[in-house]
Amino acid sequence: MFDSLKNRIKTVQEKLSINIQAAALTSPPSLDEGKGKQGKIRLTEKVRTLVRDRELILSEKDIAEPLAELELVLLENDVAFPTTEAIISTLRGELTGKRRRIGSSIDTLVVESLRSALRGVLGSGFDITTYLRTHEKPVKILFTGVNGTGKTTSIAKIAYFLRNKGFSVVIASGDTYRAGAQEQLSTLAQRVETKVIQHQPGADPTAVIFDAVQYANAHHTDVVLADTAGRFHNRANLMNQLEKIKRVIKPDLIIYVDEAVAGNDAVIRAEEFNRLVGTDAIMLTKADMDMKGGAAISIAHTIGKPIAFLGTGQAYEDLKPFSPDVLVGEILGEA
Amino acid sequence: MLDTLGTSLKDALRKLAGKTVIDRAAVDELGRDLQRALLQADVNVKLVLRLSQTIKKRALEEEPPKGMGVREHVLRIVYQELVNLVGEAAPVDLSPQVILMAGLQGSGKTTTTAKLARYFQRKGLRVGVICADTFRPGAFDQLQTLCAKINVPCYGDRHVKDAITLVKKGLELFTQMEVVLIDTQGRHALEAELIDEIIQISNIAQAKHRWLVIDAALGQQASGQARRFHEAIGIDGVLVTKMDGTAKGGGALSAVAETKSGIVFIGNGETIEDLERFEPGSYISRLLGMGDLKMLAERAEEVIKPEEVDVNAILRGRFTLRDMYKQLEALNKMGPLRQLMSMLPMGGMEIPQDAFDVTSTKMARYKVIMDSMTEGELDDPSVISSSRIHRIARGAGAAPEEVKELLKYHRMMQQALKGMRGSKFNLQRLMKRFGKAQ
Repeated sequence: MFDSLKNRIKTVQEKLSINIQAAALTSPPSLDEGKGKQGKIRLTEKVRTLVRDRELILSEKDIAEPLAELELVLLENDVAFPTTEAIISTLRGELTGKRRRIGSSIDTLVVESLRSALRGVLGSGFDITTYLRTHEKPVKILFTGVNGTGKTTSIAKIAYFLRNKGFSVVIASGDTYRAGAQEQLSTLAQRVETKVIQHQPGADPTAVIFDAVQYANAHHTDVVLADTAGRFHNRANLMNQLEKIKRVIKPDLIIYVDEAVAGNDAVIRAEEFNRLVGTDAIMLTKADMDMKGGAAISIAHTIGKPIAFLGTGQAYEDLKPFSPDVLVGEILGEA
Repeated sequence: MLDTLGTSLKDALRKLAGKTVIDRAAVDELGRDLQRALLQADVNVKLVLRLSQTIKKRALEEEPPKGMGVREHVLRIVYQELVNLVGEAAPVDLSPQVILMAGLQGSGKTTTTAKLARYFQRKGLRVGVICADTFRPGAFDQLQTLCAKINVPCYGDRHVKDAITLVKKGLELFTQMEVVLIDTQGRHALEAELIDEIIQISNIAQAKHRWLVIDAALGQQASGQARRFHEAIGIDGVLVTKMDGTAKGGGALSAVAETKSGIVFIGNGETIEDLERFEPGSYISRLLGMGDLKMLAERAEEVIKPEEVDVNAILRGRFTLRDMYKQLEALNKMGPLRQLMSMLPMGGMEIPQDAFDVTSTKMARYKVIMDSMTEGELDDPSVISSSRIHRIARGAGAAPEEVKELLKYHRMMQQALKGMRGSKFNLQRLMKRFGKAQ
């Protein structure tokens, strides 16, 4: 996972280091005599300071080229345009202007700046089990997203995951529109041994989910997972329908599902879904498809909501709770 | 549809407007803006770099033809290069054939298969559909339901777990059919076993076409995935789905470049009729925000009689209630208004979002109300006074407010169309030129 992004970032990282080193060599050694603190230090110490802990000031010019390359790298890896610009400008801000100590830590300097830039856009993680333990049962989770991102499959995976953590789960088959959706969900649920509430095809999804919540209340079920039909964010009627579900059911969590392979549009639709019905957490699917990690970074950055899960394959156990530190670590080649 | 990309490109081009001599700085800037626009549309980064270089070079080296402004000259080069990149539409003939569908999970293969079945059926061919997706639960139910709606036989078996056996049996069953479509399970290039499976299916089926289904939202992945599918089974056509969202479909461009094929169809809606034959000229025109009259006319011909929508009158700015009525009537056949509008040349103007948010039930109401109007009122809505509104409302069994709302909607549309006519005179002229150039 993230290999391509990781490798390319490494190259840029090296270039940055080289440029910084070059800048250090060309800039006159900033003699520290002026600082009274160091004036009293013994000569050997002083020499060491000069050779190893020299300070330098990076100008924008010094890092312009590697940063331009980083920009391309990010774009190539599906990081959306506005997000890319945000990362680059954070990085530029961090690296330029300030006095920097230089020596053994060039690499650390670059890595730390990159890390903080990435951490900045990724935000904090989301731990669903803690959330479930600290909230009143049943916790109602609504899944939203555009067509074909993998909502139905993800619900089965999450049901499987939660059951293994000891939670009881009921699934509401709220996709009453797409042909075969109900059959798909009921087969999946059967395989992960979870109860499904279903109505006729074409039924009101709100009613289905409402019934599922009633069932959960009656059977003291911990979690209700509510599937919905895929819809495009530019369809006012379908978005209104989702809004109605939200109004009637009052879900505790809305998980927005999108695929990790989506390009720039990922940002637009995440934003629209967030604006129209709200989003509490994100699930990214198809992360096993040689993914570039960009969608994760851009979506999280754009709507400022945490990513809860990654879908990483076709089996039920192919679900990974997401942690931003792990992602950043992996991208920076530390995991 | 593709309007966001269009807008960014237009921004880039606007900067050239008014310039009489091509200077390097302006072209450099255009190159950068173009890169940005295409990258935002998910076109492959390497393609974008190559493209913008060629455009820059041509813009600086080629003399603009006499009488053509700098902006139009550059626009023409941009257009030509984009047409080059996207290539010709991959051929579809109506001879007996087997078509194999391939693509990533959730790209829309099953829905598109049903749409294709409908397409060939409407061309008067006998169509059979084989469901070779043995993995995804509900896949067969989905395909079967969709096929049943259009009375196309669909073969599949929930209990058979081997796709190859299914394809063999299906082909035997459908020997009498002229067109056989094989829907397969979603897979991606890293799943070696599944790639193996589709190679075997392709060998057994001896498919005439192997089409790759690409989600319009697919990002930089498109190139790599397309390349590997191409290596496996030799893709000879690309279908772009979900073009009714806001995704710009740049991934499809990358896939086309990778497979050296062309785009065959565009899927742009949830109903079975929402399939559009790809046309490079109009795709690019739409990309550039110039709209496409040719396609609108073609499409209109296929589903309704030409005189039903008088495009020219609309473009002249005479948009009467009668035109609106015709438009509403044609609506079911021609797809939503948004689609219709996106085919009209509307350059830099913005259609208010409200104009599209009219629901189909409301549309039906509007038709009823208009049925209660006189000929004169339909031709010239300005004669409708408040007493006439009351008469119309009574006749249609509607509230006067509804009549007023309808009139307001009409005014809004009229306003939008007017803006279109005024500003886009040049672009229309340019489009004609493009028409000749092709």
